[in-house]
Amino acid sequence: MRKPVKDLSAKEFDQLYNCDRFSALVLGNRYRYIVKHMCTGLLTRAFSIILRDWYDFAGTISGPPELNYPMVAVSDSLILFIGTMPYAVSNTVEEYGVSNIEPGDVLLCNDPYRKGTHVMDTCFIRPVFYQGKIVAFINLTAHLLDMGGIVPGGFGAEKVNIFENGLVIPPSVLYKKNKPYPPTWKLLFDNTRYGEVLLPDIKTIYESLRLGEQLLLESIEKYGLDAIHGAMRYSCDVAEDAAVEGISKLPDGVYVGEELVDADGIDDTEEYRLRVKITKKKSRIEVDLSGTSRQARTCINAGWLDAEDAVVMALKFLVDPLAPVNSGSFRPVDLVLPEGTVVSALPPEGPIYLYWEMTNPLLLAVWKALSNAVGADAVGGDVGSLTIHSANGLWPDGRLWLNQSVVGGEHGPWGANKVADGDNYSTIVLANSYDTSTEAAEADSPVVLLRKEYVTDSGGPGIHRGGSAVRRDSLWLLPGEHRCVPLHFKTPSGFGVFGGRDGTQGAVWLFEPKVWRKYKEKYGLIPVTTDVYNESIPIAGVLNSKTKELDSKGEYFWPWRQKVWHIDAEYIFRYQTNGGGGWGDPFQKDPEIVRQQVRDEYVSIEGARRDYGVVIIGTNDPHKEPEKIEVDWEETQKLRRNSSR
Amino acid sequence: MNRHRRPAEKFLYVEKKDVPGKICPECRSSNVKEYPILSDGGWFTVTKCQDCLFSLQRTPFPPEARLGSKLRLLSDYL
Repeated sequence: MRKPVKDLSAKEFDQLYNCDRFSALVLGNRYRYIVKHMCTGLLTRAFSIILRDWYDFAGTISGPPELNYPMVAVSDSLILFIGTMPYAVSNTVEEYGVSNIEPGDVLLCNDPYRKGTHVMDTCFIRPVFYQGKIVAFINLTAHLLDMGGIVPGGFGAEKVNIFENGLVIPPSVLYKKNKPYPPTWKLLFDNTRYGEVLLPDIKTIYESLRLGEQLLLESIEKYGLDAIHGAMRYSCDVAEDAAVEGISKLPDGVYVGEELVDADGIDDTEEYRLRVKITKKKSRIEVDLSGTSRQARTCINAGWLDAEDAVVMALKFLVDPLAPVNSGSFRPVDLVLPEGTVVSALPPEGPIYLYWEMTNPLLLAVWKALSNAVGADAVGGDVGSLTIHSANGLWPDGRLWLNQSVVGGEHGPWGANKVADGDNYSTIVLANSYDTSTEAAEADSPVVLLRKEYVTDSGGPGIHRGGSAVRRDSLWLLPGEHRCVPLHFKTPSGFGVFGGRDGTQGAVWLFEPKVWRKYKEKYGLIPVTTDVYNESIPIAGVLNSKTKELDSKGEYFWPWRQKVWHIDAEYIFRYQTNGGGGWGDPFQKDPEIVRQQVRDEYVSIEGARRDYGVVIIGTNDPHKEPEKIEVDWEETQKLRRNSSR
Repeated sequence: MNRHRRPAEKFLYVEKKDVPGKICPECRSSNVKEYPILSDGGWFTVTKCQDCLFSLQRTPFPPEARLGSKLRLLSDYL
């Protein structure tokens, strides 16, 4: 068993890592700097919204084959990608053949079963040669806009096999000795849409990889190869030590958690269960996914690499949130994973595309399982699903337009924790991406965002409130094909912890032009009053079967009654996400903070009384008279004292 | 890749096989099982104490099973 790094003497350290402790620390930071610099370059120079505005990519540095490809540094973007990338690199390089790689090459692979995630996310790998030998790899996994298949842009839940997903690129070469390798480019362009965006995006990726290579070579020249490789091993060992230390603090025991996903794209007869049994003994931990549902019939599945990423990141979030992520973070965790489940799907009938819709609930199942064990360190459940909206059509001049993941329910809340309220506007925990600006979303496609706001009383009540649900209305100016992918509305994803309560459930509605025009004259917008839903076409959610408004005891509307919504101009989609889970007993929350949250319209006057036991006086209209709001301290004390919670 | 059908069972389980005669060197338990796990570096077959989680043995899957026990690449047989 390896001695913890912090217990090594200076001499032991030097012998083990071929450099002194200070240099190893500097180099560990240097690796992260290189990745960050490379990713910033891609972020600022990419052409597609998905890379430029969503940050839908991740970068890493990996060590050479003789060190077993350790991932030593990662970007601060998509956690979904991070855990899969060590395998993406090793599987691609080994299958392509180490001896076939030359200086100036770039390899790529997009196969979900070899490199994780989905076919759009293509892993680009740049070998770093020094003195004629591969000494490292610089890597970017980036979402390319299209990979062919039956759904433009890919975001649909109806694909029933891997062939409908689109082009699968096995480990291949894209650049040979710094020159484009035409057969691979032709394969790509002849099987995909939107080549005019793919081409500049990939060229930017190539230049970003070259930047990473150049920066690493500068460090090798300065510190020497032995120190570079020593510091790679050091970085991973330190991360492993931090993970072991975090795990050790958990009480020994067996913990079980579950989370449900609503349905797949065939029908609503089968819910999908993510089940974890976590066994912890001293510094060891095993996470057994036995009892998890078989793979779904459409492409809502995830792969085995995605499962490992989700479980390790879920644990790290709770027990070791501060140490940088790298391969060392994965070492202490053993995952027992049945093959053929929704998070270990097998081809061709277990197509993987909307993989995060399974792995984020897997993360939530881990959090639920450990919520009591970690006590005050528990974190409430998040928005639960990306609830993606994807649309495509033709401009009047015949050009294609594509709108992906910017006007649906992609951005929503996180759960609360011991430090603060949950963030109101992020992506799912495992995604951690940016929000596209409204202007960018509207510039590239015929859509106007009419609403982008928080929903009052939707965040799970707590000493710290769960993040609020997000409501977005999008008005479409041209006819088009629309796909909605909400997968977590049946049960609250934002579960409360440490005495906190659950957030609300969300839904999706469609409004016809006649409804929009009627309200346009009176209000300018379609209002949010409950009566308006009676005139909607419900798409998804648990709703009152008569009024079509949110009703947690109502009827489940399965979103794929129409696989594709073909709509004319002036239809409006309304997305309302789930709310985040609260932390701590809401009746212990400082009434003054409740007052502020009523003023800011996160909580209503009625919600303050019902959920927090706080009596608000001074006005009945916080929107118009926010500064008149006061706490009735005497009544609040009485209410809280008499509460029979 | 080979063709896998959707499993008939709604929920799937990993079988942990008994390993008779093995004693955990760390806690002396005889509750030792053999089963596949996924950890840093890929798939392994482990012989592991179920009481203290000490691994008596960890054997990486063979190269042709690098994607798991079920996935095989037809191109590996060229």
